[in-house]
Amino acid sequence: MPLDTSTYSLALLRIDGRRWNDLRRLHAQIHTQDAADGSSYLEMGHTKVMCVVTGPAEPQAGQKKGTVGSAQATGQKEGASIVVNVVVAGFSSVDRKRRGRNDRRIQEMEITIQKALAANLHTHLFPHSTITVSLHVLSQDGSLLAALINATTLAVIDAGIPMTDYITACTAGSTSSYAAGDDAADPLLDLNTQEEQELPYLTVGTLGDSDKVAVLVCESRVQVSRLEGMLVVGVDGCKQVRRLLDGIVKQKGRKMIKEGAVRRSDMMAVSLDD
Amino acid sequence: MANQQTLLSPAELAYLHSSLSLSPPIRPDGRTAKQFRPLTAETGILPGTNGSARVCLADGTEAIVGVKAEIEKTVDPLGGEHYQEYVKSASGAGGGDAEEDKRGARGEWLEMTVEIPGLRDDDAGTVFLAELLREALLADGEFAKKLWINRRFHWRLYLDIILISPPLSYPLPLLSLTTHLALLSTRLPRLKSEGDEDPMFDDDWEASPFLYPRQGAAAGSRPPITLLVVAVGDSILFDPSKEELAVADSALAVSLCEVRTQKGDESMEVDSGRELRLVSMRTVDPPSRLTPPGVPSTGNFAASGTFDPSSQKKQQQQQQRVEEYPQEGVWKAPLGGTRFAVLDSIIRAVLEKGGVADEVLDGLEGVDLS
Repeated sequence: MPLDTSTYSLALLRIDGRRWNDLRRLHAQIHTQDAADGSSYLEMGHTKVMCVVTGPAEPQAGQKKGTVGSAQATGQKEGASIVVNVVVAGFSSVDRKRRGRNDRRIQEMEITIQKALAANLHTHLFPHSTITVSLHVLSQDGSLLAALINATTLAVIDAGIPMTDYITACTAGSTSSYAAGDDAADPLLDLNTQEEQELPYLTVGTLGDSDKVAVLVCESRVQVSRLEGMLVVGVDGCKQVRRLLDGIVKQKGRKMIKEGAVRRSDMMAVSLDD
Repeated sequence: MANQQTLLSPAELAYLHSSLSLSPPIRPDGRTAKQFRPLTAETGILPGTNGSARVCLADGTEAIVGVKAEIEKTVDPLGGEHYQEYVKSASGAGGGDAEEDKRGARGEWLEMTVEIPGLRDDDAGTVFLAELLREALLADGEFAKKLWINRRFHWRLYLDIILISPPLSYPLPLLSLTTHLALLSTRLPRLKSEGDEDPMFDDDWEASPFLYPRQGAAAGSRPPITLLVVAVGDSILFDPSKEELAVADSALAVSLCEVRTQKGDESMEVDSGRELRLVSMRTVDPPSRLTPPGVPSTGNFAASGTFDPSSQKKQQQQQQRVEEYPQEGVWKAPLGGTRFAVLDSIIRAVLEKGGVADEVLDGLEGVDLS
C-alpha cells in the first residue's frame, strides 16, 4: 500500500497529524498478571503488546537442548540464560495472517531482545537458571520491536531482576525515500505501519538516560548522510520513552506502598507526594 | 498438556485422592465440589478485531481470544453444476428459500488455533484442545449457518486463542469461557446487497449486527461452553486444579449450550430457567495414569529396617498382591475406562437446574459486552 508522503512538505504534518518529533500515545501497565513473576502491558499508538516474565527459575527439562523457535543465550555458563518467545497473534494485523514460530522476522526480534537483555541484566547473580520472557503481540501498527523492548523492560522490572538501567527503544525514520535526493528531508520519530512501509527507518534502543545504544536495527536502505539525523532523533525519543516508563514504574511503586504491599522504609529517597 | 507431570510423591497422591473421595470432598483450596474459581472478564478489548475477550482466572491464568472474519467465495464441492441448478430454480421460483440454501453451510468455514507459550503450535495437546473447542461450537450445526451470506459467498471466521500466562492448570475451561465471550461480542458488518449479488456492506460499525443476537426475534442459541469435570472415587469435581487433575480417576470435557426457545403467546410467564443442552463430550487423558505406584510399608524394607534375603521371595509375592488389590492409603494409578454410573452422574450434575452450568452462564451474562 503506497503512501502519499508528498503532503508532508506542505504543512509539515504527518498522516496522523503529528509533527516530526512527536511520539504516539504511550500507555503501559505493570503487573497485569498474578501468576507470573513479572508482567506488563504496553500500548504505543495502536501497537499493543503483553509481556510475561517467568524466572529466574530452574531450567525445565528439554529447554537445555534448545527449544524450537526460541532464542537461546549462548556462551553463558555461569549466569542465567535468557529465553525469549514472541507470539504474534493471528488477529493482530489488519488482514489476518498466521505466522509460525519459525518465521525469520520473529526469530530475529527474539534474538535482538535476548542479546539486549543478556548484556544488561545481572545474570551472573542467578547461576544455572533460566529467565523466560514471553511476548504476545495483540495488535500491530508500526514500531513493533520498540514496543516489545519497552514491554520487556517493564516486565523485567516487575519481576525484580536486577539490571543496569532501563532499556528503552523507539523508531526513527526519514521523510524521503532512499532514491530521492532532496536535502530537506526531515527525520521522523515513532513511525506507524503506513510510514514504515514507505520510508526508511531504524529501531534504536538506549540504556537509561545515557546515549549508550543497546539495540540498533535497520532493515531498509538509508543514505548515510541521513543516518546521523535519524539516530539523533531516535536516541532523543528513547529518552522521552524512558521518562514515561519511569513515571509508570514510580506510580506503581507509590501505589504498592499506599496499599501496604511494600513497607515504607526509612531509606526511601523518593517523596511520595510528588 | 493434560499429561503434564506434577511433582507429587505417591504418598501425597494417595492423601489427595482419599481426601477428595470423601463425602463431601475436601479440596486443597477449600472449594466445594461444584464451585468454580472466580474469574474476571472483559470483552471488546481489541478494536482491530470483529470480537475479542480476555478472561483471568483466580489462579492467575489468563487468555485472550480474537475473532477475525474474511469474505470468501463459496466453492461448490460438486464442481459448479449444483450452482447452475440453484440459479435455475431461483429464477424459476423468484428467489429460493434462504433456509433451504443455508444447508450448504460447512463447518470448515470456522478456523481455530490455540497458542500456548513454550509449546510448539503443532503440539498434540494444543491441536487436541483446538479441535475439542471447535467440535463443541459446530456440534449443533447452527453455527456454520450464521456464516452464510448468499449462495456465492460466505464468511470465513478465524478464532485465535492465546494463553498469556504459563499453563498452570489444564486450560480447557478458561479457553472455552474466553471463546464464549469473544463470540458473544463478535459483530459482522451489515449486509446491504440482496440475493446472490457480490456482497456489499454497510460501513457503519454501529449498525453491524452481532453474530449471536441478544434481543428481538433473532435471539436464539448461545455459543457453547466446555466444562472440565473429574471423577475421584465417588465424588464429581468441577473446575479441577492441577493437583486435583493429577489424582483424577477420569476426566471429562463436557460441552453444553443454552437454548432459548421461543414460547407461544399462551405461556407468557417470565422465563425463569434456561434450557441446557449437551452438545458434546470427550474424555481427557488425566496425568494420573502416568504416576508411579506407592509401596506399602509392609513391602518396604527401608521402612521396616530389617533386610532378610530369605524373605525376598515373599516380598515379591507381596508386591504382586499389592498390584492386584488396591490398599487403603497406598497410591495406585487408575486403570481402565470410566464406569457408566460415573458418566451418568457427571451428566446429571452438569445438566442439573441451578447447578454449575447455570452458575457459570449467569456469571458470563453479567459481563458487559461492548
